[in-house]
Amino acid sequence: MKEKKRESFRHFMNRESTAGFVFSLPFSIGFLMFMVVPMGLSLYYSFCDYNILAPPVFVGMKNYIKMFTDDPVFLKTIGVTFYFAFVSVPMRLVFALIVALILFRTTKATAFYRAAYYLPSIIGGSVAVAILWKRIFATDGVINQLLRIIGIKTSFPWLGNVNTAIWTLIILAVWQFGSSMLIFLSSLKQIPVTLYEAARVDGANRFSQFFKITLPLLTPTIFFNLVMQTINGFLAFTQCFIITQGKPLNSTLFYTVYMYQQSFEFYNTGYGAALAWVMLGIIGLITLILFATKKFWVYTEGV
Amino acid sequence: MKKKIALLMSCCMAAASLAGCGGSSASATTAAAQAPATTQASTAAPSKEASGGSGDVKLTMSWWGNQVRNERTQAALDLYSEQNKGVTIEGQFSEWSDYWNKLATSAAGQSLPDLVQMDYMYIDQYVKNNLLVDLKPYIEKGDLDVSNISENTMASGTVDGGVYAICAGINSPAMMYNKTLLDKNGITIKDYMTIDDFEAVCRQVYEKTGYKTSIVYGTAQTYLDYFMRAYDVVLFGDKKMGGTAEDYIPFFQMYETGLKEGWLIDPGVFAEISIGSVEQDPLVNGSSPETMSWCAFANSNQLTAVQNAAPEGVTIGMTTWPSPDPKKSGYLKSSQFFSVGAHTKNPDEAVKVLNYLVNSSDANNILLGERGVPASSKIAQELSPKMDAINQEIIRYINEVVTPNSSPINPPQPDGASEVFNLLNQVQEQLCYGTFDSKAAAEEFYNSANKIMSQK
Repeated sequence: MKEKKRESFRHFMNRESTAGFVFSLPFSIGFLMFMVVPMGLSLYYSFCDYNILAPPVFVGMKNYIKMFTDDPVFLKTIGVTFYFAFVSVPMRLVFALIVALILFRTTKATAFYRAAYYLPSIIGGSVAVAILWKRIFATDGVINQLLRIIGIKTSFPWLGNVNTAIWTLIILAVWQFGSSMLIFLSSLKQIPVTLYEAARVDGANRFSQFFKITLPLLTPTIFFNLVMQTINGFLAFTQCFIITQGKPLNSTLFYTVYMYQQSFEFYNTGYGAALAWVMLGIIGLITLILFATKKFWVYTEGV
Repeated sequence: MKKKIALLMSCCMAAASLAGCGGSSASATTAAAQAPATTQASTAAPSKEASGGSGDVKLTMSWWGNQVRNERTQAALDLYSEQNKGVTIEGQFSEWSDYWNKLATSAAGQSLPDLVQMDYMYIDQYVKNNLLVDLKPYIEKGDLDVSNISENTMASGTVDGGVYAICAGINSPAMMYNKTLLDKNGITIKDYMTIDDFEAVCRQVYEKTGYKTSIVYGTAQTYLDYFMRAYDVVLFGDKKMGGTAEDYIPFFQMYETGLKEGWLIDPGVFAEISIGSVEQDPLVNGSSPETMSWCAFANSNQLTAVQNAAPEGVTIGMTTWPSPDPKKSGYLKSSQFFSVGAHTKNPDEAVKVLNYLVNSSDANNILLGERGVPASSKIAQELSPKMDAINQEIIRYINEVVTPNSSPINPPQPDGASEVFNLLNQVQEQLCYGTFDSKAAAEEFYNSANKIMSQK
């Protein structure tokens, strides 16, 4: 009897699938504990009055109704977030593409330059850079000092002005173009040289080479970058949280920061959870729209 | 072979997950380890289960604060462990804003620290949710000695007849000002300034020196509370705001006047600093009079920090906050409290530690009034000769300036207060950016705040 049991254990350990399960455990446990369970909970909380300290009380759609009928700040943050994402992402992509084209030609220093230009996207999202940014745009910061050197005497409060504050965040976002640039670089390399040779034989100048060959063949990459960066743009948090905190007059209040404020500063955690799910819906919708436009401009024939 | 790998993997997994569990508390103790608490770091991981029958008690205490506070408090706790064999206390500390996130999360997880540093703003919420232990039975039993603490001070930790928090140090609102600058220009500051006096000084300072005035920006709640006391208006009523919209106009009027006459500091300045940081306050931080202020609204126990942050050669003076009727507005408050968390397994021992922190000379010789003037008058007296000039000045201010002209503090703020305060600061912002005049600001604040409160 005992022998048989041991046999079956041994059998169990020897099965192909057991090894598979064991090997995937680290991921599965992490995924369940840190993704599925919290997401389920947050979906539940979004239908509750929940202030962290007291147990949640189910209130149905109240949070969602309040959001769309009775919360001007919600609409304001949506506006700010869309503005930020739709200005910073295209600018970042154009910038990334230009730099990628410049760095495409291989010389001795290229590797150095590639690393140097990639650096901002590693450190750019960090708290330290956010604080540095705040200092750069201060009334007595580097920007105003530089302006003074070229003769414009100013102590313009870049961060304190309703019209300029959001641009400090946009510039910071555009500066982090490195990862898009690397992706552009690698797909530039995959464009067959023969196409350019043929074009040159036919008398095409560099300008039409770029618009007739490079750009169309890059569209799948542009599409990929666009989708990824747009999602990232909507989820931006650190820059706003550290640099502006939504000031002045909520002109820089990102959706995610507002969500954080509601959840952890005002203790309206149920409402914060509802905000999170609406954001998920918005991002899903925008991604869907982007995918719907794909067939009009993305080149999909095999190269 | 495959089996062996699988076995090995599962062992690794088990080890890793164990390490993961230990991780959080390990990191908490590493933070605490700057104080000589390293010995317990290895054993502290399974903190609560270990109490058992062996007489070993492990407690945790959490607080917010600065480096000085962290070191002194941990040292005082270690001394307690030395005097009471078998008791170890682990300190967990964080910054003010993180502290409340962390505490709320641990409350939700039924794992509040045994000893909790509390703030007046949160007491009501925590008590209403049964998260703090009522200390009254312990006071009656004699485990907790409050005989040297004044009734007023005890009242601030009392909610619905139960005592939930013991004052950790007394302070009072205090306006810090650049004494050196004002002396040089022959401007003198007297205590108990009214709003008219204050505005006159602001004008004078602006004309003579170019220095502007910052009236609490972004953290106006305490000042509004103080200001309204002059009119006998308590900010919060039952699910509504106190007073009428008109009552709030004079408060916003002050900003409007400052804006019109030019002496109010440009609100853009505050976009560049972290509001609430003593070191970055326009009183001590800035490059030209235009972006600096001659005064700052603070609390008496911050005098040391402000003086330390001030440029060399600048002496900082301290006086009462201006108010329409300063003698009516004035109050003493607990800068912070000590409470016992409801999830503690050893309430008796936790109360003993609390008693030690409040009443023991040994503990207070280490803490040295960093949290404010000690609540126990006996300890305060004992301590006073050991203090430096700045702390002497704080005690003088509390005893001679505030105490004779103070009344009990308003009741703790109810649920929804933090949202109302956020609203207040946004209204104030709009006022300073010129979107609102004082009348519109008062109306917007009053109506929206009422709406927030009615939904609570």
